[in-house]
Amino acid sequence: MTTLVDDGAGPVAGGPHTTAQLRGVAIGLANLAALAGITWLVWYVLLHPNGVLAFYTPMYGFSLVATLLAVIVFMSRIAEGWPFSAWPLAWPIRGAVMTAVALGAVYGLVHGLFWGGLGRVAVTYFSPYAIIAEGGVGAEFFNAREIASTAIVYFDAAFLVVALVWSAGVGRWPWHRVPVGVRVWSKTATVVLLSGLLFLVAFHPHVAHLFYPAQSMAGVTPWWRELSMTSSAFFNLGVLLCVVMAVVLSELTWEGEPWGRFDRQGGAAAKGVTTLLGSALIGLWFLYLLWQLMNALWYEPFVGGQRLDGPHFRYLHAGEVAGFVILSAYILKVCFGNGPGRGSLAMRALVRTALILAGAVAMWFFYYSPLATLALGKVPGIASPDDTSLVVTLLFLCVVLIQAEFFGRGPRAAATVDRPGR
Amino acid sequence: MLRRDFVKTLSGAGAAAVGASLAGPAEAQWIKRRPKVEIGEVARVRVDVLTETSWFDNTRLKQNIVAYGGAGTNQYSIPWDWDNAGGYSALITVTTLEGETRKILLDTGWNTEWMDYIYRRNGVDRMLAEGEIDFLVISHWHLDHAWGLASALKHNPDIKIIAPGTLYPEDRTLLGGGRLTARSHDGDDVVICQNDHPHTGPLVLTEEAGENDSGIYRPMPGMAIRLFDVPILLRVRGENVLYFNVKDHGIVTVTGCCHPGLLNLFAYARRNFEDARPYGCYGGLHLTVFESWDPRFDDIIRGIEYFGIEKIACNHCTGWLFAEKAAAAGLPIVRGTDAFRDYPKVSTVAGSSNVFLTNGDAVTFG
Ligand SMILES: [Fe+2]
Ligand SMILES: [Fe+2]
Repeated sequence: MTTLVDDGAGPVAGGPHTTAQLRGVAIGLANLAALAGITWLVWYVLLHPNGVLAFYTPMYGFSLVATLLAVIVFMSRIAEGWPFSAWPLAWPIRGAVMTAVALGAVYGLVHGLFWGGLGRVAVTYFSPYAIIAEGGVGAEFFNAREIASTAIVYFDAAFLVVALVWSAGVGRWPWHRVPVGVRVWSKTATVVLLSGLLFLVAFHPHVAHLFYPAQSMAGVTPWWRELSMTSSAFFNLGVLLCVVMAVVLSELTWEGEPWGRFDRQGGAAAKGVTTLLGSALIGLWFLYLLWQLMNALWYEPFVGGQRLDGPHFRYLHAGEVAGFVILSAYILKVCFGNGPGRGSLAMRALVRTALILAGAVAMWFFYYSPLATLALGKVPGIASPDDTSLVVTLLFLCVVLIQAEFFGRGPRAAATVDRPGR
Repeated sequence: MLRRDFVKTLSGAGAAAVGASLAGPAEAQWIKRRPKVEIGEVARVRVDVLTETSWFDNTRLKQNIVAYGGAGTNQYSIPWDWDNAGGYSALITVTTLEGETRKILLDTGWNTEWMDYIYRRNGVDRMLAEGEIDFLVISHWHLDHAWGLASALKHNPDIKIIAPGTLYPEDRTLLGGGRLTARSHDGDDVVICQNDHPHTGPLVLTEEAGENDSGIYRPMPGMAIRLFDVPILLRVRGENVLYFNVKDHGIVTVTGCCHPGLLNLFAYARRNFEDARPYGCYGGLHLTVFESWDPRFDDIIRGIEYFGIEKIACNHCTGWLFAEKAAAAGLPIVRGTDAFRDYPKVSTVAGSSNVFLTNGDAVTFG
């Protein structure tokens, strides 16, 4: 089922004719248009402020979308499509079943595990009902749901970071020789444990300070406050999204390089470490570049600045831009067979990266254009409070991933045999 | 890596000096730079809170918004609960360096019955009728700041108005005399605002470029008005901010809601006015409007300390929560009195700590 990763050069590689390539691009564009249409439809029904359910509050809708993405990544990358891959189902049916399971899991996780479970018996802020039951300032449903949703979004973020770094870094190691069921359970336990720890360090202090009075005995005063000029965990979110972007680019766009060479020389663990450290370096460098660019555009931010002047916004925005790059990379991969399939790896990587960045820039301009206000019902302008492009970006990414991972890009990919473990 | 000595950041030539610790002249030429402006000085500014209770029940207001599409909805499409509506309006009395007094009306509230009462109670009706008020500033076109226009115009339709040029056709209708309705879920067309007294006086529609591309308007020495063209909830755009440069003290901002962000205003003053030293502020600060906290509000408390603002008179959409927490953190919050309890209606969020400068209170800067 690992259709996105590992299948080497895209299908365009096989088409020496320009006409074939053009046909590929045309099919890709049609595919992209269909995915965009589905995304818009889901947005309108679920999130659009003047749509049907209007969950873009924004945090409640954000929590649903982020959880869906986490579930998709779990099912495809951690669980490796198991157990569905073992069932003798035709690809459209398997895709539909997996999609249904994923949607059910989102409901089960948000309303069951967090709202009904953990929030009730462990950590108050995971459940709006528990927050309201405790009472206090501003404890009414809308606020309480936003707080619980914020916590869930952060948990999803921690999970996504760990899951993606883990699967890109060490893959199936150290369980590559055991049966798939054992491996899935082992990976799950490890990734969930590590995401819990990451959540505690990177995000819990923020959520603990969403209350009045601050829950400072439960969560420290944000430790990154002096470092980053903000108490908001948008700092961590921005940094982590930039790192994830670097992981995705290496895995998807640069065909596993440059970290793949460490696998060949020092084994999976060496590759894991270099993937983490290397991606962290690239991610921080990207954040630094964006920071400079934003300073050039909008002056330096300062402590207590709001909107464009707020350091918290600058970090969030770096994360939003990283989100555009990630989505763009997946679109190139899924809809356009990852672009050029010939030439040296360096050349392919360079051209793909350029295409992806161009796509991300286009998304940026679209999101802040009046067109997006019209289509998505978002507040116009950049840095408007309570607006983040991450919600629609991640929703689009979910739709792309559902096609690629669940429906296996149609009959062709569904027929491909699972590659043996690394 | 991104660490920076903040005080250093703010000192010297202001924001222009910063990029340094981040390696390089990041302050690019992309930002439109204007020469600093000398705005002059005033001796004193007094602000009388006519009304800052724009609505009385937060929950009902929020229900109205959520039921009709959320924060991005056009305010003219929501059939608001009329009896929950109040208004925001302040009377500003400026003492010039020559010792003359000039009066400015800021905003006209929302519910015209409430506003009629407020203007009568404070003698603003007479001041308007007798031409004692120099001009009216509309801070922004939010319902609670502009929909009560009729209550002011009925006493003086000729008054000069300075309002954001970022207005919509509905705002123009209201200004020119008219009536607007919104469709409720029950299918009724509810009258949401009405003005039977068309404005006939001079109208200045502000733009971000300001007068002669200076970024600001200067209706009198020592005073500047700047339009911050930011998107605001309920489809409104742009807020006029009043700056006063009080002799021997510094810059005072007077705002309706302060949607652009309080410290953003002082940062603008530092970058663009000669010798701009933060001194004080009056108005709504649009922070914990709905009593929900966020770590970025802790940042604002720290930032206010760094900026060294000496006098903070806040109310309205600041949120009691923010005011209380800021006071507890030791910020110089100007305390109000219990005068508001003597009004026929009191906001449900009113606490007992008097951290708001509220209906019937006043503050003097200088
Ligand atoms: Fe307001
Ligand atoms: Fe406002």
